[in-house]
Amino acid sequence: MSGKGLVDAERRRFNVFALAPSLIVLFAIAGLPAIYLVVTSLTPFQLVNPGSSTDFSSPLRNYRLLPDDPRFVNSLWVQAKLSFWGVLFQVLLGMLLALLLHTQSRVAEFARTFFLIPMVLPPIVVAIIWKLIYTPDISPLYYAAGLLNIAMPSLTSSVDFALTAIIIADTWEWLPFTFLMVLAALQTIPDEFSEAALVDGANRFQIFFYITLPFITPILVISGMFRLIDSVKAFPLVFLLTGGGPGSVTEVTNYYAYLLAFDFNEIGYSSAVTIVMLLLVVAVSFGVVWMGRRREAMA
Amino acid sequence: MSGGMSGPIRRSASARRLVAIGVTLIVLLSPFLWLLQMSFKSNDLILQFPPPLIFTPTLQNYASLWQGAFPASFVNSLMSASFSTALALILGVPAAYALSRWAGRGKHALSFAILVTRMAPPIAFTIPFFLFYRWIGLLDTVTGLVLVYTSFNLPLVIWMMQPFFETVPSSLEEAALVDGASTRIVFLQIVLPMVAPGIAATAILCFLYAWNDFFFALILTRTNARTAPVAVVNFMNYEGWEWGKIAAGGSLVMAPVLIFSLAVRRYLVSGLTAGAVKG
Repeated sequence: MSGKGLVDAERRRFNVFALAPSLIVLFAIAGLPAIYLVVTSLTPFQLVNPGSSTDFSSPLRNYRLLPDDPRFVNSLWVQAKLSFWGVLFQVLLGMLLALLLHTQSRVAEFARTFFLIPMVLPPIVVAIIWKLIYTPDISPLYYAAGLLNIAMPSLTSSVDFALTAIIIADTWEWLPFTFLMVLAALQTIPDEFSEAALVDGANRFQIFFYITLPFITPILVISGMFRLIDSVKAFPLVFLLTGGGPGSVTEVTNYYAYLLAFDFNEIGYSSAVTIVMLLLVVAVSFGVVWMGRRREAMA
Repeated sequence: MSGGMSGPIRRSASARRLVAIGVTLIVLLSPFLWLLQMSFKSNDLILQFPPPLIFTPTLQNYASLWQGAFPASFVNSLMSASFSTALALILGVPAAYALSRWAGRGKHALSFAILVTRMAPPIAFTIPFFLFYRWIGLLDTVTGLVLVYTSFNLPLVIWMMQPFFETVPSSLEEAALVDGASTRIVFLQIVLPMVAPGIAATAILCFLYAWNDFFFALILTRTNARTAPVAVVNFMNYEGWEWGKIAAGGSLVMAPVLIFSLAVRRYLVSGLTAGAVKG
C-alpha cells in the first residue's frame, strides 16, 4: 500500500519535471506575447513616438476607430471573399480529386504522393511559381492566350482579376490538403454499402449522393474549416503577387495589419486589428474542436 | 450474363481512370515543373517563345547563386530550423509523454491552448516579438528566429507525440516499475526507443515548418540572419528581374522540403490538423 503510494509520488514528480519546462517556455514565448499584444492594442503606440507605448489614457480608442476605418472594413470583406471562394474550390476540387484517385491500383497509389507536392512546397516558392505564371513576358499562359488570339489583361494588376489570381494560386496550393482528408474518409466506407446498392440497381450518381456523400460530409466540413482558419495566413501570395493592390482590391486583414505595423509604424492600431482577427480565428477553432469531439463521440 | 460483363467493363473503366489521373497530375504539376525547367535556362532562353522543348540545360543560375550571399542565407535557414527543432523536441517529448499518461483535468484546456497557438496568424506573434527583440537586441539573429520558431514547433511536438506514446502498452512500463525502475529510467530506456519513428516524423515536420517560414524572417531579420526564402524574394526587389536566378533560388529552397516531406507523407495531415482530429 505505502509502496504504491511511493510509486505514485515518484510518478507525479516525474510528470512535474516533464511538463514544467514546456509550460514555462510556452508561457514565455506564446502567452506573454499574446498578453503584450492585448496591452499594446490599448495604446496609440507608434515607434517614432516613444512615450506612446505606455499611454493608456484612452484604452479603447483603437477599437472605436476600427468600424469607421474603410480600409479595415474593406480588408475584412476581401478576406471573406478570398476565404469563401478559396475554401469552396478547395473542398469541391479536393473531393473530385479524391474520388478520382480512390481506386485500388498500384499506379494510382504511386501517383497520390505527387499530388501532394503543391501543399508541401514552401509558401514563398508557391508565390514565386505563380509570379512566373502571371508575368506576361515569361509566362506560358500569356503565350498560349496569344496563340488563341485572346487579349489577356495583366491578371495581378487588374482590378477585376487580381483577387481571382490569388484565389487560383491559393486553391492550387491547398487542394492537396482537402484531397488527402477526403481520400482518408473514402477509404473508411465499407464496400458492402455500395455493393448492396448496386445489387438493388442503384446507378453511380445515386451511390454517390445517397452513400458516399453523407459519409464524407463531416470530413468535408472539418477540412473546409481548417482551410478557413489557415486562409487568414495567405500572406506570401498577397505579398509577392499583388502587394495588396491594385488599390486595396487584394488587401486582406493580415496584410493590412502588416502594413500598419511595419510600414506606417502604427503598432498600437495594428495590434487592435490583429486582436480582432485573432478572436475570429479562435471562434472558428472552437467550432472545429467542438465538431471534432462530437464526431468522436458519434463514432 | 451480367456477371460475365462486369469484369471487362470494370477494367476498361479503370484504364480510362488511369489516363484521367495522369492528365490531371500533369496539369496540376505544370506550374511547378515550369519553375524547375526555368532554373536550368539562360535568361535569353527564358524569354524565348515558343519555348524550345529540348534545350541544353545550364547550371549558370545555380553557379551565380553560389557566388553571392545566398549560401549564407541557406546556412541561416538550416541553423534556425535545426536548432528550433532540437529545442522543441527536448522540451516537448517528455511533456507529451506525461500528458499521454495523465487523465487529469486541464488536459482539454491545454489541448485547446495548443490548437490556438497553432492557428493564430503569425502577425499576432510578430508584433510582440519585434518590439521585444528591438529592445534586447535579438533582431536579425539566428537565436531570435530559433525562439520564434519554437513558439509553433513546441505545441506541434506536444500534440503529435501523444498518439505515439499511447501506442506503447502500459503493461511494459508497469513491469519495469514493479522491478524497481524509476519513471525516468522507464521513460528513457523503454518508452523512448519504442517511439523513435514518431520522433523522427515529428522532427521532420518541425524542421519543415521552420524552414518554410517567410513572414517571421521577413520582419525579424535584415542581413545577418536573413533566411533563404527572404533572400530569394530579395532577388526580385533589389537585383532586377533575374528570372533564372529567382527560379534557381526557389528550386534550392524547395529541394530539402520535397525530399523530407515525401518521407513523412503519412503524418502530414496529423501535423496540419493538430488539435482537433486524431492523427
